[in-house]
Amino acid sequence: MLDRNGQRLLTAAFGLVLLAIPFVVHDSYYLHLFVVAAIFVIVAVGLDLIVGYVGQLSLAHAAFFGLGAYISALLSLRLQWSMWIGLPAAALFTGLVAFLLGLVILRTRGHRFIIITVAFAELMKLVATNWVDVTRGFMGLPGLKIPNLYVPGIGAVDISSKERFYYVVLAAAVIAFLLCRTMVRSSIGRAFVLVRENEGLAESLGISAFRYCMIAFVVGAALAGGAGSLYAHYVGFVSPDLFNFSYVTIMLIMVILGGKGTLIGPALGAVIFTFLPELLREASHWRMIIFALILIVTTLFMPRGIIFPLLEHVVPKRWRARHVDAS
Amino acid sequence: MSTLLEARGVTVRFGGLTALKDVTLAVAAGEVLSVIGPNGAGKTTLFNVLTGRVKPTAGNVHLRGQAIERLPAFRIAQLGVIRTFQKTEVFGALPLVDGVAAGALARGDPDPLERAREALDVVGLLGKAQLSAHQLPYGDQRLLELAQALAARPAVLLLDEPASGMNHQESAHIVRLIGELRTQGLAIILVEHNMHVVMTISDRVIVINYGEKIAEGRPEEVRADPKVIEAYLGVDPNANAVLR
Repeated sequence: MLDRNGQRLLTAAFGLVLLAIPFVVHDSYYLHLFVVAAIFVIVAVGLDLIVGYVGQLSLAHAAFFGLGAYISALLSLRLQWSMWIGLPAAALFTGLVAFLLGLVILRTRGHRFIIITVAFAELMKLVATNWVDVTRGFMGLPGLKIPNLYVPGIGAVDISSKERFYYVVLAAAVIAFLLCRTMVRSSIGRAFVLVRENEGLAESLGISAFRYCMIAFVVGAALAGGAGSLYAHYVGFVSPDLFNFSYVTIMLIMVILGGKGTLIGPALGAVIFTFLPELLREASHWRMIIFALILIVTTLFMPRGIIFPLLEHVVPKRWRARHVDAS
Repeated sequence: MSTLLEARGVTVRFGGLTALKDVTLAVAAGEVLSVIGPNGAGKTTLFNVLTGRVKPTAGNVHLRGQAIERLPAFRIAQLGVIRTFQKTEVFGALPLVDGVAAGALARGDPDPLERAREALDVVGLLGKAQLSAHQLPYGDQRLLELAQALAARPAVLLLDEPASGMNHQESAHIVRLIGELRTQGLAIILVEHNMHVVMTISDRVIVINYGEKIAEGRPEEVRADPKVIEAYLGVDPNANAVLR
């Protein structure tokens, strides 16, 4: 295991690699995958708060992602709001919807909680499909654009190319990761883990499980909404397909196989499981079956996931103690 | 002594089953009140009512004069009513110090880990602070439960069979700890089947049978009460030896 200086060196090297990607990767398709991967890092760390830290298996996360995408698209197309306003608005609105949903479903646990999150996701898909006046149904909402970025002293910078938008989503992913990391290392994060480990005991000692599940649920959903906004403007089009169940499956794979309750595991899981489906394109019919089998086997036999256990050798012990022993 | 926690006329019905019927009790600061009774008498249900896990069908519970019976469990705990459980409840996979910090965290203590270390020191587990609860033997897990409760700085401590499954030496340790906590001014309500522990440590004893309070008084008074002897052993004039 590396010492603290080694950790810093490794982190700096990793940062440099991330910054160098647009200079090294010239294939437009692979650069596209890196952009999508960075967006899914935001989704995965948010979902990790819910699944990994407070231990609630939410299947509504793809719905929050799609909701954020639609809100941002509608604000852009109907009200001509820039993405820079639409993105926080989408995150806030998605967080608000999660709060209202949470008022009902966070009083339930286990299979009831899971089923209600599935019902919510289906409801969102039905709304996107059938509220044709607003969403155009299956035709979706095309024509979204990436706006210029105004940099003080420089002025408007065109960031619509993949190379430049990559840095935008990379910055967003880093901010989301640091936000979640700050949260889980605070007293809020300690309470998350206590609720996950023994909810009844935590309540009997004065910790409100409802309150902390709500915090995780709302923050996770808001991050998914923000990521949805970035995705919508990046691909330039939203459709009801965003609410497909396969999205939430892949999000859960990112978190569970990455190593739930670790943040870094799901973040790396997001990158790996954005690329892996593309590598399995030749076996597209079998792809979801292969993923499902991996998910079942990992859940049964590798509860700490696949990726994070491999990382254990390079992260400090004190960090491991808080995140891995607790999972 | 001023009353800290008081239950008046508490009745709990689960459908057609009356688990508690018109039970009244009060405990003051610096007092140990034991609740005894045969299995299924309603002792744990009483604890559940006092800590907000079960809402009473009738009656009320007051802490320092404030009605708390409709408050959620976590809020009652924040007000200072903390319990342990009949079946050991710990944060199994976490290091002891992280789990014990829960109560201090809930109270908004600026340094919950330090409070946790203090509580672990009180029960003699400080040296094992970085182990996980699952690594502890059963007796230590019972002590860990006590540390978890103490870190929450309770005003009223409800101990549900703290000496169950313990050997004589471990039971004596628990009795000594409870005595120390009493001298610090905690109000303690104890459910315990080990009559030696109950008779040694209690200031007063309440006896519950089929959900009803059938006796209350000093340990020696309760021990000699024919209704108590009958509840435990049936009608047998020589049976009260069991309660000694």
